[in-house]
Amino acid sequence: MVRVPIGSIYRKKSPIEGLLEHMKKVRECVLLLKEGVMKYFDEDFSSFHEITNKVSEIEHEADLIKGNIRAHLPSSILMPVDKKYFLWLLREEDAILDHAENLAQLLDLRHTKIPEELKNKFKEHMDLVSQTVEEMEKAIIKFKELLDMGFPSRIRDELKQLIHNVHRKEWEADRVRYEIMRDIYKMEDKLSPMDEYHLLKISDWVDDIADHAENVADWLRAMVAK
Amino acid sequence: MLLALIVLAIFAGLYMAWSIGSNDVANSMSTAVGAKAINLRQALIIASILNFLGAILVGKHVTDTIKNKIIDSSVISNPDAILLGFLAALLSAALFVTLSTWKELPVSTTHAIVGGVAGFGLIEGGMHAIKWKTIEMVTLSWILSPIAGMVIAFLVFKLIAKFVFSSEDPHRNAEIFGPFFVGLTIFIIILSIFMKTRVGAYVEGGIIEYIAFSFIAGIIASIPSYFLIKKIKGKGYEIVEKIFKRLQIVTSCYVAFSHGANDVANAAAPVMVVIALAWHRVSDFYLLALGGLGIAIGIITWGHKVIRTVGSRITSLTNTRGFSIDFGAATVVLTASKLGMPISTSHTVVGAVIGVGLARGLEAIDLSVVKKIVYSWIFTLPATMVTSILIYMGLQIIF
Repeated sequence: MVRVPIGSIYRKKSPIEGLLEHMKKVRECVLLLKEGVMKYFDEDFSSFHEITNKVSEIEHEADLIKGNIRAHLPSSILMPVDKKYFLWLLREEDAILDHAENLAQLLDLRHTKIPEELKNKFKEHMDLVSQTVEEMEKAIIKFKELLDMGFPSRIRDELKQLIHNVHRKEWEADRVRYEIMRDIYKMEDKLSPMDEYHLLKISDWVDDIADHAENVADWLRAMVAK
Repeated sequence: MLLALIVLAIFAGLYMAWSIGSNDVANSMSTAVGAKAINLRQALIIASILNFLGAILVGKHVTDTIKNKIIDSSVISNPDAILLGFLAALLSAALFVTLSTWKELPVSTTHAIVGGVAGFGLIEGGMHAIKWKTIEMVTLSWILSPIAGMVIAFLVFKLIAKFVFSSEDPHRNAEIFGPFFVGLTIFIIILSIFMKTRVGAYVEGGIIEYIAFSFIAGIIASIPSYFLIKKIKGKGYEIVEKIFKRLQIVTSCYVAFSHGANDVANAAAPVMVVIALAWHRVSDFYLLALGGLGIAIGIITWGHKVIRTVGSRITSLTNTRGFSIDFGAATVVLTASKLGMPISTSHTVVGAVIGVGLARGLEAIDLSVVKKIVYSWIFTLPATMVTSILIYMGLQIIF
């Protein structure tokens, strides 16, 4: 039985720790998906169903982490950054997983063969998208460092650079995606309508992952604005 | 009959001291234990010794306030009434604190005893019997102490962020910052021991000599701490936290000392009055020592449970934060003790935590506790007043 109020002002677990945990799931999921997709693009569909299941599983685990963070942030909680921004960031980070899951399921439902001349571009695109997420992870880890050290401007500048890297990678991915779409339309006489639809859809959904990673970076930037 | 009163007062006083020790030890030690600067065993030993020292060396000022400055003894001239009144105040505070501990309400022992004393004063002597000036000052100190704790902790953490973390060489600057704060802490403590106290009375000299002496003591303390800190190895951010891990031992001692200085009065002051009136004047020193001992016993017998309960919630607290909180709270509590202001250590610590939170030092703090503290505040005074009055009337019938 405790009368002193000091214990009840602290939170047993910080929301930032939760964010890092969630981030780990995002990375795990995107790397797994990338590996599977690369094989898939080479027409090795053997293990893809399993990967789809695994992606769904990770997505669900991350959802629980997200729910737990949200449930423990009542209005009386004071955070070092704007809580609204933090929740938006979490939401965007979670959207990466939702899109990863959608992509995996789409690919699993119909095994679409990538035309030989597009294979490299598709792979490059997937790789750049995965790099965008990796850069985003670096930014999140730097954000934690910034909090630990009480917002020194040196670390803040480093974080801004990392956020910039996310934008650059996303931009590079966008460019490759544009080329992919352009090439698909060029080839439309050779492709069946269903194949064409699916190729466009795949490039679209791969790209979505990078878009949400970029959104995460944007919310990070908003949180550390002076 | 008088013997029965004395025995009752001593037991009630010891019980209060025990309750203060067992619960409030969490204020000084749970941050250090939570941030893993010391283990539970070390915390209990440090807290009991430092609380005892704080009580006997600097406990006098707040004790004087509770004894002499709440009730106007020229209005209530009957010594028997004062005797029974202080006993009633002590019993009502003890009862109320027990109740609030059981119900886990953030009630301050200080507020309870002040409410108790004022309660019987009102019923016995009316409005004139209360020294309203003191009540005003005390109430003001209750509002100001958490705010002051907040401001100091805020500034200390900002200073660490600016001077240590933001610098080109955080390690090097932590090596300078550390000894400086050790020296400052020792300076404040030594100064508090000498100024207007029993110890000071033995030493020839005025305020200038005391300051000079404390200053030298601070410098002497900072030199070995510089070399001890230099031995700590590591790199980057971690080394800074490692250095503060050591520094936190000093600041948690500082909180424990200050706590003893302020809160021993809550238990010892009424007992002093009762014994002086029922028997004859016993030196304050022995009764402060008895109060300090009661607090120490509380810490040793029950403190581990409270520290463990509270400490388990403070798992993500780092040492720089713990340091800032401890330093802010202890400085305020010790200053209040010197000014004779009976304040709540718990509330001051909460203020300090909020200060570090506002300095963007904590990842999440729950401000709903502030509301609970304000409610308990408003509730404690009338409740202890009424209980004190009822017990006082009861005692009058019996004795």
